[in-house]
Amino acid sequence: MSPLLLTLKIASISTIFVTMLGILIAYVLAKREFTGKWLADVLVTLPLILPPTVTGYILVLLLGKNGILGGIFTKITGSGILFTWQAAAIAAFVVSLPLMVKTATSAIGAVDRNVEEAACILGRSEFETALFITLPLAKKGIIAGCVLSFARAVGEFGATLMVAGNIQGKTSTMPLSIYGAYQAGNNELANLLVLILIAISLITIAATSKLGER
Amino acid sequence: MPVKVDIEKEFYGRKHIKKKGVKPSFSMHCSFDADSDFVVLFGCSGSGKTTALRCIAGLENPDAGTIKINDTVYFDSRKKVNLPPQKRKIGYMFQENALFPHMNVRQNIEFGLKGLSSSAKAERVNEMLGLVGIEELELAYPDELSGGQKQKVALARALAPNPEVLLLDEPFSALDTVIRLKLRKELRTIQKRLGIPIIFITHDPVEAFTMADRMVVFDNGRVQQLGSPEDVFYHPKTRYVAELVGFSNLFDDAVVEGHGQGDECTFLWSLGTEITAPYIRRMAGDRVSWGVRPENIELVDSESAYAIRKEDRKNLLDGVIRNVVNRGTSRIMSLKLKDSGAVLNVEVTNHIFDSLKIGTGDECMVRIRPSDMIVF
Repeated sequence: MSPLLLTLKIASISTIFVTMLGILIAYVLAKREFTGKWLADVLVTLPLILPPTVTGYILVLLLGKNGILGGIFTKITGSGILFTWQAAAIAAFVVSLPLMVKTATSAIGAVDRNVEEAACILGRSEFETALFITLPLAKKGIIAGCVLSFARAVGEFGATLMVAGNIQGKTSTMPLSIYGAYQAGNNELANLLVLILIAISLITIAATSKLGER
Repeated sequence: MPVKVDIEKEFYGRKHIKKKGVKPSFSMHCSFDADSDFVVLFGCSGSGKTTALRCIAGLENPDAGTIKINDTVYFDSRKKVNLPPQKRKIGYMFQENALFPHMNVRQNIEFGLKGLSSSAKAERVNEMLGLVGIEELELAYPDELSGGQKQKVALARALAPNPEVLLLDEPFSALDTVIRLKLRKELRTIQKRLGIPIIFITHDPVEAFTMADRMVVFDNGRVQQLGSPEDVFYHPKTRYVAELVGFSNLFDDAVVEGHGQGDECTFLWSLGTEITAPYIRRMAGDRVSWGVRPENIELVDSESAYAIRKEDRKNLLDGVIRNVVNRGTSRIMSLKLKDSGAVLNVEVTNHIFDSLKIGTGDECMVRIRPSDMIVF
């Protein structure tokens, strides 16, 4: 598969999962107090601060044949998860989740509490209130989180290289291909890939502004 | 009595965590009943009114007590009953209306109408739009509405699900005077039509007096007085309530000298002279406070002063006008009394003031009727 399609596939799948889990985590962090909340906050923020190669190394330990998650995967499918596009997607997921959670937590926390209380008094359960009031009012922040996560997933390099390698046609994403082309001295290819990535970024920014205007 | 409230709540600092040995930073204890009428919770900011209202709504939980509306127990700490706000049949209006900004007026009003068919919903919304008089705003969004219109929508939204009681937290404070007066009248009319009790918070004494059937005066989390507006305004039970309802002349350190024949009055030594006050059951030598409303102080011109019979020379005070403030509808004169140097605030209508032709620096005599005084 071409690097472009591979990157878009990995980034899209990663962003879908990041959005679903990210909103859930963000809602809990914004709305609930519980013992150990500070720890949850630290764990979610960690991939944002750690160097991607460190994150990648930890993922290798977890996803390798002897790792906790890798072992289960191998039992089910018969082969390892490392050096597959799925591993690249997992890496993208892990590094972009904090961006979603931080942005969405802030947006959800900023929703006027009185408005949510009004919904409760009018008979709506907490779930209905979240669905019809809180999340729609936090929409801008959530969309911003999605866009940031997608962009991060597109650009992921360090962790991807470690868990998925740079296998042509299988796990050679755009950033990895650019690096490969640059190393091989293939400037034409590198230039082309860079221009395509810039174009994707510009489209993403434009789309965000349009969504933000609504 | 449809509304019965008797609750306690304590707050411990910002995190509201009760720690052993730590005293609460604020404690609220209030108890009152209401019939199908208009109850006003009145007091300064921070006196506990909003906490009490939020507990009735279920937005906060009391530490102990009971809340009963129309024989339904909303909260009972001993029987471990605590209905969530969703299950309580209340309407609530916030100070900043709290309309759903992403929904139009119609969608806002029908939000509480779960389980109705769409035709039933539409009918009820139309009924509410008509009740508060905003039919033409049906499809508008909150950011297109004025403050008064937003509060009307908030009222319609609160009333749509047919609540048993309506709770309002200073709903008109953010509005200008003209709209406020209009909405007060409309709310009273609506309340009479629907016949449900309303519990209304305000810190505006005029609003409280004009709207209330019953007033509950709060101070520092406690109920200081419960009664009709006339009771509270003209016969405040404590010095705090007196100050709150406009007794801007309050004098402490008055000493009881004795009582009149048949206990018809009490003589006090205050303001450097003998003051005849209404009877209070205290002994000679006791210290008391007394007060009088500024509009109840009678101006006496010098000619009439000489003509007053000796036996009627009660509470005749002599002073010099220190300052006159024109409030637009009346004048407030600051009168510095000659005997004691104490300052009396006297309110005079503009009509009378202009006819007397007096001003700053002039001498002036006033008289205070014992029946207009309150003593604590």
